[in-house]
Amino acid sequence: MKNINIKLFLIILSGSFYSVSSLANNNMVEWKPQIVEKMYILPPKHLNKVLNNDFNKSLLALNLQNTDNKIKDKIQKISELNSLLPGTSNEESMEIKHQIIINKKNYIKDMNDFLIMKKQKLNTKKIFFKKIQKNIKTNSSIGKASTKFLNNKNIAIKRAEKLNFKIIENSSYNISKQSKYFKQYQVNKDAMRKLKLAIEKHPMSNKNILSNDPKNKMEAIRNYVHNIETEIAVLDMKEQMIHYMAKIVVLDAMSLAENITFASENEKDIISTNFNDPVNIISIFTN
Amino acid sequence: MSKLIKNLTIILSLTIGSYANANANSIDTLERERAKALNLVLDKNISIGDRKKNLQKSKMRLLDIERMTINSKDINKNPNYQTIKAFENFDLTFLVHTSLEKGKSLSITWLEEMGLTTVNLMNTRVTRK
Repeated sequence: MKNINIKLFLIILSGSFYSVSSLANNNMVEWKPQIVEKMYILPPKHLNKVLNNDFNKSLLALNLQNTDNKIKDKIQKISELNSLLPGTSNEESMEIKHQIIINKKNYIKDMNDFLIMKKQKLNTKKIFFKKIQKNIKTNSSIGKASTKFLNNKNIAIKRAEKLNFKIIENSSYNISKQSKYFKQYQVNKDAMRKLKLAIEKHPMSNKNILSNDPKNKMEAIRNYVHNIETEIAVLDMKEQMIHYMAKIVVLDAMSLAENITFASENEKDIISTNFNDPVNIISIFTN
Repeated sequence: MSKLIKNLTIILSLTIGSYANANANSIDTLERERAKALNLVLDKNISIGDRKKNLQKSKMRLLDIERMTINSKDINKNPNYQTIKAFENFDLTFLVHTSLEKGKSLSITWLEEMGLTTVNLMNTRVTRK
């Protein structure tokens, strides 16, 4: 009976490692950044902060936190069980080892989930930054085509602004009395000039160089993408480590199963002594 | 089937038409007002007093529209050929602004821009002889 249990345990254990990734994928909640397109103009540093805040509000972040707590719990249990091992009888030690293996198996499953979720977070971030990169590229290509037109338009605006005073002075136009638009235009232009001055004087205006220059913004975003890719590569290595850990747990389980089988076979040997063989009952006659 | 094609054509033309309207709205309005002003300049069937009065009104409207066109941000996105050319030829497109800059009347500014100066006209007379 014990043998069958161990065999079943082994099958379940090894089976669970194969299905770890598929199980994890089914339980995962996707994170879709809820960031409006207007935020794309923010400097990359602020954008990253906004993105992190958005992630913290997501279900994926909650799952990540829960899994992290589970992992801590498992580690604590394993160390507690390990501390119980010395000074126990053979049977007790087998039971504790059995519990350790189960906890280790659960730890590996949770850790695998954790790594997959972290990877998902990083991949979503990467896709988000790639999208911004694409937007900047598209905007700059449109910008190149319309630069000449915009130059002409800026010249026209400057020429028109120079004439403001002349229009007010010119008695034949007498704009202030006749044109409602020009009156409003003057008021709005003055207000806009004041706002522009305030923007230039603002202490954050100088720090915001990244958002003003698309080349710098592109470079900063490229750095973020590079960092994310590095983190993903590190996670891949950690996944490899988890695979090795799983192999060790499987080997431990096999060794435990073998020990239990060996012990039960010894017991069987004692119980199933063949009394039909005269050699085996010599002691009864001699004593 | 033919009904469906007809309906589709109508919907398509309406969509394209509305898109084009949105794109070149301010330049079109400017061109219309400018044409009206020039029509007044060239009209021989009205009295000098009427012309002056009407031209003054037209100039006021044109000045506002020119300002609106110059400051419009809608035309920055995908400017069409007409808009690009209008800003390339500032002096001819924004007649009231140019006339204010040069300190000349609207009609003289336009005629000069078209190359119809007294000297040029006199020269043509000389070459014909």
